[in-house]
Amino acid sequence: MKRLPKPARAQLIRWGAAGSAIVIVTALAACSSSDDDGGDNTEASNDTYTWWDPYPQHDDASDWAQRVAACGDEAGVTIERTAYDTTALTNQALLSAQEGTAPDIILLDNPAVSTLADTGMLTTMEEFGFDTSAIDENLLAAGVVDGDAYGIPIGANTLAIYYNQQVLDAAGVDPASITDWASLTAALQQVTGAGHKGITFAAIGTEEGSFQFLPWFWGAGADLRDLDSAEAVEALGLWTGWLEAGYAPNSVITNSQNTTWEEFLTGEFAFAVNGTWQVNSAAEAGFPTGIVQIPGVGGGAAPTPTGGEFITAPVQDDEARYDVTTQIVECMTTPEGLVETANTFAYYIPPTAEGQDALLAENESLQPWVDAVRTAKGRTSDDLGTDYPLISEALWTAVQNALSGSMSPEDALAEAQANAESATE
Amino acid sequence: MPSTVNGAPVVVGAAAPATTRSAPPRRRRMSSTRWAALAFLAPLLAYLAIFYAYPLYRNVELSLHDYTPRAFVQGNAEFLGLANYADVIASSTFGPALRNTALFTLVSIVAQYAIGLALAVFFHHHFRLSGLLRAMFLVPWLLPLIVSASTWSWMLNSENGIVNSVLEAFGIGQINWLTSPDSALWSVIVANIWLGIPFNLVILYAGLQNISGDLYEAAALDGANAWQRFWRVTFPLLRPVSAITLLLGLIYTLKVVDVIWIMTTGGPGHASLTLAVWSYREAFGTGQPDFSPAAAVGNLLIVIALAAGFVYLYLQRREERS
Amino acid sequence: MKPRRTWWKTAVGLVLTAIMLFPVYWMINVSLTRTGDMRADPPHWFPWAPTFEGYADVFSDQLPALGTSILVGLGCVALTLLISAPAGFALAQLRPRGAGALGFLLLVAQMIPSVVMAMGFYAIYVRLGWLNTVWGLIIADSTIAVPFGVLLFTAFMAGIPRELTQAAKVDGAGTWRTFRSVVLPVSRNSVLTVSLFAFLWAWSDFIFASTLDRNGDQIPITLGIYAYIGNNTTQWNSIMATAVVASVPAAVLLVVAQRYVAGGVTAGAVKD
Repeated sequence: MKRLPKPARAQLIRWGAAGSAIVIVTALAACSSSDDDGGDNTEASNDTYTWWDPYPQHDDASDWAQRVAACGDEAGVTIERTAYDTTALTNQALLSAQEGTAPDIILLDNPAVSTLADTGMLTTMEEFGFDTSAIDENLLAAGVVDGDAYGIPIGANTLAIYYNQQVLDAAGVDPASITDWASLTAALQQVTGAGHKGITFAAIGTEEGSFQFLPWFWGAGADLRDLDSAEAVEALGLWTGWLEAGYAPNSVITNSQNTTWEEFLTGEFAFAVNGTWQVNSAAEAGFPTGIVQIPGVGGGAAPTPTGGEFITAPVQDDEARYDVTTQIVECMTTPEGLVETANTFAYYIPPTAEGQDALLAENESLQPWVDAVRTAKGRTSDDLGTDYPLISEALWTAVQNALSGSMSPEDALAEAQANAESATE
Repeated sequence: MPSTVNGAPVVVGAAAPATTRSAPPRRRRMSSTRWAALAFLAPLLAYLAIFYAYPLYRNVELSLHDYTPRAFVQGNAEFLGLANYADVIASSTFGPALRNTALFTLVSIVAQYAIGLALAVFFHHHFRLSGLLRAMFLVPWLLPLIVSASTWSWMLNSENGIVNSVLEAFGIGQINWLTSPDSALWSVIVANIWLGIPFNLVILYAGLQNISGDLYEAAALDGANAWQRFWRVTFPLLRPVSAITLLLGLIYTLKVVDVIWIMTTGGPGHASLTLAVWSYREAFGTGQPDFSPAAAVGNLLIVIALAAGFVYLYLQRREERS
Repeated sequence: MKPRRTWWKTAVGLVLTAIMLFPVYWMINVSLTRTGDMRADPPHWFPWAPTFEGYADVFSDQLPALGTSILVGLGCVALTLLISAPAGFALAQLRPRGAGALGFLLLVAQMIPSVVMAMGFYAIYVRLGWLNTVWGLIIADSTIAVPFGVLLFTAFMAGIPRELTQAAKVDGAGTWRTFRSVVLPVSRNSVLTVSLFAFLWAWSDFIFASTLDRNGDQIPITLGIYAYIGNNTTQWNSIMATAVVASVPAAVLLVVAQRYVAGGVTAGAVKD
């Protein structure tokens, strides 16, 4: 049983001694630091400005990072950019605001703007000295709380229905015939009858699920304050009916928008609901594609929710920093700057008329998307503000319950309304 | 099972030196031993005090106040006492979440332990490639959770998943693994069991190696077959290690969020929502972070784990006395 | 037992391993599949028209992150052993008063949600200026493994016969020497087990890295993967390829470590 110690073991022990030293140093450091009470923001020196965005897919060598850096150079400072994934970004922003180490600029997903604005950690664009009059009102609305704008959209995207021309041709469906819900369902019947798959969308139990359901919800004339209205039931009934008839796959219940798109790229589906960001990918697909606007129940284009990030400026102790921050923001939002952003993100539609014209001059085929963005609606609009996330959670839960067959659309939405009411009271 | 242990007098006799301790001559060496113990524990105590005290305090504090995002940043949350706990328990989500947590945790740890033990015993017989294959069993653990959970949801996809594709070949129709309220919880349990097998295998295998080979030889001489040797030697001697494996398994399984979140986000509806996932959803799953209810749910989980700890301690005491 | 009679065990072992590793195969399959074929129905069992884009991405972007992860993993192993082995020895063999309470504290410690732990560390590190440092991450990651290590060492070291430690005492060894020269050597298995877990937890940590080491020069591989997860796009090829490439050095490390340590232990156990 007894074994002789080997050299490696002796080494381990020596390591051990070093380790206890580390622990003790840590302890001392922790004690001493509590005396001077921290708060010293060592990172933010006068010529370094911090910038957070939710684009980890764009590394330091990317066009996007270069643009950010260039705007810093123009203002005569260095920008230190950090990319977080969307969920982590909101969390980190709150944490840093609590510790007084908020960055100079944060690019925020638009529904998060009202949440963070409500905490008092963001400056209003007015205080900050930025003129927002050129921005399309429907797009700016997502960042407006009690009449004050807390950010500027750097671009906007929204949803439409992509179709696979090959599948439609084979089934004899003309995309132009899709003008309301009845004609869309008829088209689905025709393509599935011809042995193809119908439509795929995302009904996952997260914000994405609500994002994708909203065009149908609003297109039926329903209101987010009244989740169990007859119109809302009709919208959810449309989706549920598609699943039951086999026009849409069962997997939509766990589909994210990415998964939806991957399904569409197999070429098996006639339709997929997806966003502006897939324009480039659609052009590279192995089959010809096109888009139609999501129709309202009785015809016309349904209002679609706006997506995209807002550029916001957290409150700083040192107000002198705002001057430079303003210059950086201005640099990012010139018409040329917006077009460049649009191209980087394949595509963000610029939020100003001037920017949109400049984009169209470059790429005419984006016209349907510009139209869609112009009629789009912010999720936190209609004075929902910080109530929106709570209502949205109730809504996507109802969608999940109805699609999975555990509840009827009526019951699911009635429960959702009750939950939303108790959450927002 | 304890009766089986008692039913093997020869083996227990042989095992005695390995498990029972001579009565500790406590009184005499008390002071010097105490100082030595303190010295050995000092790094741990310092470490606990520095790194755990604050988060623990924080979690309790969060749960007793109303930390909206605004209050979180401004640090002026209203004191609510136990109201968050009352809300959580009264919520219509609490019942299903508790049931799902119980099912998820118990089925997972029992299956993980049983499979892990079977594999550990199997690999304990040394055969060609046994070392390599055992190491291969750890590979699932090297994968980032986002990757392994995504892979599982990929395989279990209703329409284009490999599992349904195989079942179809055998004439079994489409099963909506992740999207039906009846099967979603079971699907995440299966994935979680798969993830937990390496943990159980490693600990139990290490436990087996600590059992002296002489005992098996003695049992073999005694005419015990492989099955009897397992129940009379292996299993009883493995009991302390088994207990700690199950206890830790319980704690880790209670905390599981990533797997469920990535595969089903707790859905459809609340079909696979556990307490831990609920807590995560409250704090990070929506656009509106609700830290206080999330912390209250988290603390309820701590209470559940503590109850399990008491049971463990009770069983351990009883064992020592007998 | 003669080698002849064990071939069927090898066969069973191979089959079991194959079942266990099927999801890993599937991951490799996806890493080589073109985006257009990923959701094909029925799924492709084998990437007939493979793409190596994912691997190209990994080799051009992710190697430094891989190095950081290994460094963090090893650092975490060292720190965890240093703190938990002596503590486990004290709890199991010296049996101080309050050991039960300490055990409970360790249970509670493990139940603190890692997000809350991360918030706590953030508050501490901001004040110390330790954000975005590798050692800061090592210390944070070790909090996952230390309570586990203490509990496991206690469970294993309680099984060491008192006679062994008494004998050392009689020979005139102090507590430290007993620990070093008697207890540690016979605890090889638990040292290996704890090291393994400390390494794996540090390796797979995302929350601490995401909160504490986001904009450092050295980020671990779990954050590196996020370069492929955009707001609206997911590059599965690259994600899966990263996982495959990342698991290779870690797997080699595991096999080597296991060989090295298990060699002496198994010699005395069941004979082949």
